[in-house]
Amino acid sequence: MEKLKDALDFSDFSKTERVCFYIFTVFLLVFPWLGVGSFVKTVMIQFMLFSLFGMGWNTIGGYGGQVELGKAQYVGIGAYTVALMMVWWKVPFWISMPIGVLIALGYSFIIGYPLFRLKGHYFAIATICTSLVLKDIFDNWNLVGAAKGIELPIHEHPDFLYMQFKSDTYYYYFIMGLFYIAIFYMNWFRKSKLGYQLRMIKDDEDAAESLGIDIRWCKIKAYSIASAFVAVGGGFMAVYNLYIDPASVMELSLSIKIALMAMLGGAASLWGPIIGAAFLVPLDRFLGSWLGGHKGLTGIDFMIYAMLIMIVSAYQPKGIWGIIEQFRKRGR
Amino acid sequence: MLVIDALLQGILIGLLFALVALGLTIIFGVMDIVNFAHGEFLMLGMYAVYWTNYFLNIDPLLALPVSAALGVLLGLASYYWLIRYLLRGPAIAQLFGTFGLMLFLQYLAMFLFSADYRMIDKGVLVGKSYSIGPFIFDGTKLAAGFLSLISFAVVYYFLYKTKTGKALQATAINKEAATYMGIKTDKMNALAWAIGGGTVGIAGGLLVNFYYAYPMVGILFVMIAFACVALGGFGSIKGVFFAGLLVGIIMMIFPVFGQIIGSDFLGPHFKFTIVYLAYFIIVVVRPQGLFGWKN
Repeated sequence: MEKLKDALDFSDFSKTERVCFYIFTVFLLVFPWLGVGSFVKTVMIQFMLFSLFGMGWNTIGGYGGQVELGKAQYVGIGAYTVALMMVWWKVPFWISMPIGVLIALGYSFIIGYPLFRLKGHYFAIATICTSLVLKDIFDNWNLVGAAKGIELPIHEHPDFLYMQFKSDTYYYYFIMGLFYIAIFYMNWFRKSKLGYQLRMIKDDEDAAESLGIDIRWCKIKAYSIASAFVAVGGGFMAVYNLYIDPASVMELSLSIKIALMAMLGGAASLWGPIIGAAFLVPLDRFLGSWLGGHKGLTGIDFMIYAMLIMIVSAYQPKGIWGIIEQFRKRGR
Repeated sequence: MLVIDALLQGILIGLLFALVALGLTIIFGVMDIVNFAHGEFLMLGMYAVYWTNYFLNIDPLLALPVSAALGVLLGLASYYWLIRYLLRGPAIAQLFGTFGLMLFLQYLAMFLFSADYRMIDKGVLVGKSYSIGPFIFDGTKLAAGFLSLISFAVVYYFLYKTKTGKALQATAINKEAATYMGIKTDKMNALAWAIGGGTVGIAGGLLVNFYYAYPMVGILFVMIAFACVALGGFGSIKGVFFAGLLVGIIMMIFPVFGQIIGSDFLGPHFKFTIVYLAYFIIVVVRPQGLFGWKN
């Protein structure tokens, strides 16, 4: 009960932030009824999906300060569990998704234990390596469709058991539900004991250790939480796209995108990943649809995207949220 | 027989890996930055030789100076226009900064040269093979191994025997102390990027003789280079040489073992998996690498 109260309690934010959050919530609720096209709706779904991923990454990457670049493998685990169980045994989404999360949790403990012996660059590259190993295995494993991927069996239109719908509006509210659960969870997390311990570790590992914090265990716990978040998103991707292959759910670029959302928006803040996703996802999609279609212009959209990454990393490593806070301080 | 053949092939390709990883380890040693865009320098080096060969009909091996020069320019440009600004920020921003550079160069190549796979088809050594005793070697791979070894030796001589090289080493060991001795850190950083870019440019020029050039080729080789750098110990020059050889040998020998025991699981499509796994195990068991001195 106490935890629930903490999760729903936003009172330590400034009034402006709270008002913005409420307006944003109302906006999201009515958005599908504003008469927007299906493309814009897809972009919104993607935005919430990537916010979910980013918030997950934020536990270990933002609050914990570990450069984690292998989250795609957990997207893959979540997506493949849902897809395979549906194809092989016709298991409904609501059973296979939690199983996927459990597998992701177990796997993250196994991987996390040796992984968190490492620090800094060693750690960052090792996370990439583990993710690529899993992708290579899935790319060549005929049982799970290898590089061809797997298609999910199609069900009748409104199927709430297998979560398959013709209209994006259903998916929209479904991912919105997950998105808000994630926000409430993160709101609790940042005030939890683990949240404070992680920030302490980020600031000064030696000091944290001398205070009796089990650094490695804390990091592993945060890593597993992040993995669980991402696996939920992976499960959603499977039923939303109805088709998955290693290239779409396990690619290195997906790992990087996830970390980038949180980084660009502002790591270690509740709103950071959401702002980052709200900025990057539409940019990515709209640039892609405007420029990607023209012959001879392939790649320009990603070049602009890459320029933005470089500029932000060079001038404002704290991300967009850092810029906002800078302005606020100046205003005072 | 099969095993010895794989061993020799592994050494040849390993020499090239060592040259690719050399620049990465120098840059890491001097300024503690992991350059994700390193593979894209390699990729542009490959294209430089490819297009010189295509338009000017110059033999790919004689076109090496073009790719080396391009590599040096790329290194310097990245340092002065991006890395210098990144150095002020936290480590995570540095990682993302070089990652942005990687993405930029990838899609620049995609934009300029399209996503086609390109391979050199004319040249003195292209398509020729030589038999030495019972073993058959591709001429291009022999040349690549040999020239990699020479380039590596030149850089090694420069770093350990010349005054500027020693200054670079001093900066890598202790930046502050080096500054007190009158060594300008900024210049040394730029030098590290110039050498890093130049060597990987040459490596790209050698690689394109027997491997396809395409915009995304870099990521594959940068991961191998990361494995070599970690295995040798971040920042260690000697280490990266032996690590390169070792990784080359591992990569070539595992599929042979697979063939011998008739297992599909060790097949050639898993040769990169083995490199990644090797990296993971090495850094976990021995984080300082084989010859590492930096933690």
